[in-house]
Amino acid sequence: MNDVFKYRAPTSRAELFGMLAAHGEGAKILAGGTDLLVDIRSGLVRPELVINLKKVEDFSELAWSQSEGLIIGPATTVNDVLHDAKVRDSYPLLADCALTIASHQLRNRATVIGNIVHASPGADMAPGLLCLGARVQIASQRGQREVPLKDFFTGVKRTVLSHDEIVEAITVPTSTARSRGSYRKLKRIDGHDLALVGVAVTSTDGAVRVGIGSAAPTPLLIEGLTDEDPADAVVAAARDAIRPISDLRCSKEYREYMIEVFVRRLLEEVR
Amino acid sequence: MWMSVEVNGHIYEREVTEHWTLLRFLREDLELTGTKDGCSAGECGACTVMLNGEAVNACMVLAAEADGATVETIEAEAVDGELSEIQAAFARNYAVQCGYCTAGMVMSVRELLRLNSKPTVAEIKEGIEGNLCRCTGYQQIIEAVLDVSGQINNGTRGGLKYV
Ligand SMILES: Cc1cc2nc3c(=O)[nH]c(=O)nc-3n(C[C@H](O)[C@H](O)[C@H](O)COP(=O)(O)OP(=O)(O)OC[C@H]3O[C@@H](n4cnc5c(N)ncnc54)[C@H](O)[C@@H]3O)c2cc1C
Ligand code: FES
Ligand code: FES
Repeated sequence: MNDVFKYRAPTSRAELFGMLAAHGEGAKILAGGTDLLVDIRSGLVRPELVINLKKVEDFSELAWSQSEGLIIGPATTVNDVLHDAKVRDSYPLLADCALTIASHQLRNRATVIGNIVHASPGADMAPGLLCLGARVQIASQRGQREVPLKDFFTGVKRTVLSHDEIVEAITVPTSTARSRGSYRKLKRIDGHDLALVGVAVTSTDGAVRVGIGSAAPTPLLIEGLTDEDPADAVVAAARDAIRPISDLRCSKEYREYMIEVFVRRLLEEVR
Repeated sequence: MWMSVEVNGHIYEREVTEHWTLLRFLREDLELTGTKDGCSAGECGACTVMLNGEAVNACMVLAAEADGATVETIEAEAVDGELSEIQAAFARNYAVQCGYCTAGMVMSVRELLRLNSKPTVAEIKEGIEGNLCRCTGYQQIIEAVLDVSGQINNGTRGGLKYV
């Protein structure tokens, strides 16, 4: 890194919250670092203090409980989720999403929560987590709050988090366990690439949900559809919600077209 | 920051520059220059090393994060001048040309074989997805992996018919 910053690795929540409160905007959380270190190197982010949260006790936990469902911790990596037996059994859609992220060695470091907090429109964990009704558990020295994932994103790389807050967990309710559905990611090459578009469709007890990435400033969730709705109605709802742009990866029109193709294919799969 | 890290079986205790990556620490402080810097951005895999037994991009890890950890690099592959099985298979199958990607490639193959002792061609491609090679076209590398995992014999070697 060219920029000079200090590094700390607190081992308790209290220590971590204290550092964040004391340093304000000058402090940045380091989870897997696969977004943060790229942003620091390019000069986009210039922290005075980088706080590694992976050493905090219990933060790597990936747990499951009947009352809270799946609990993803701040140090849970994308590969942890990909290889977890409970995820594969009850939330296979999340394993689908995880497998599409970067390369194996990056997934050994990249965290699920980092993917969500970075809030890229194309974050590959987002469409699946949105469809499954994930909730974001936020904590700071001031206390705790919970926000549905669909209300967490506020713009391109923007979220409801303030500087002293962390995401302590992302929880996925038991009510969406064993939903049918999968994730399709369109890339330019077979190897690792960011999504041109990413679409997830689920069917849970008759309710159909569509999660879409790289189609608007934030990942999108389309709700209020049922198994009875014809495919044309689901496609129309998706078309209403998206606001794609043309960029170096592809044109707006191609995005619109491929989202429709993926929604139709994925719907056929869940029906 | 003062830190202690085990690299290739040696314990190093020293002051580390807090904003340096593990890659820079290995190359410039420890002078282990086998690990290469291709992009410094997680894209190319030339910097792949084992951190606590798992393959990672050393350019995407801060050196300070390796405090208390175990690191293995390409320098630990050959023992007493004797190539490791993976290295020998690379040589046998012409999987090295300029060699810039090779250190990272060997680390990724080691990770792949740790998780899957007989990978299919599709699984090999997925395993080395994070390692770019501008010379070989990958085919010889895939053959080297098939070879070292006992899935190729003298009759079929060099045929590229598996790829
Ligand atoms: C080569 C390459 C390929 C990639 N490919 C993909 C891809 O295919 N798909 C994809 O979606 N992404 C991709 N990414 C982006 C990145 O790897 C993922 O977004 C990753 O999941 C980020 O997680 P992390 O733990 O590394 O985040 P970090 O870089 O550690 O953190 C990201 C941001 O979130 C903040 N943060 C992290 N954890 C918390 C927390 N618990 N509380 C509060 N703030 C927090 C950090 O301060 C930082 O601002 C790629 C990146 C690279 C370098
Ligand atoms: S130098 Fe680390 S991935 Fe390219
Ligand atoms: S041998 Fe030259 S980059 Fe792979």
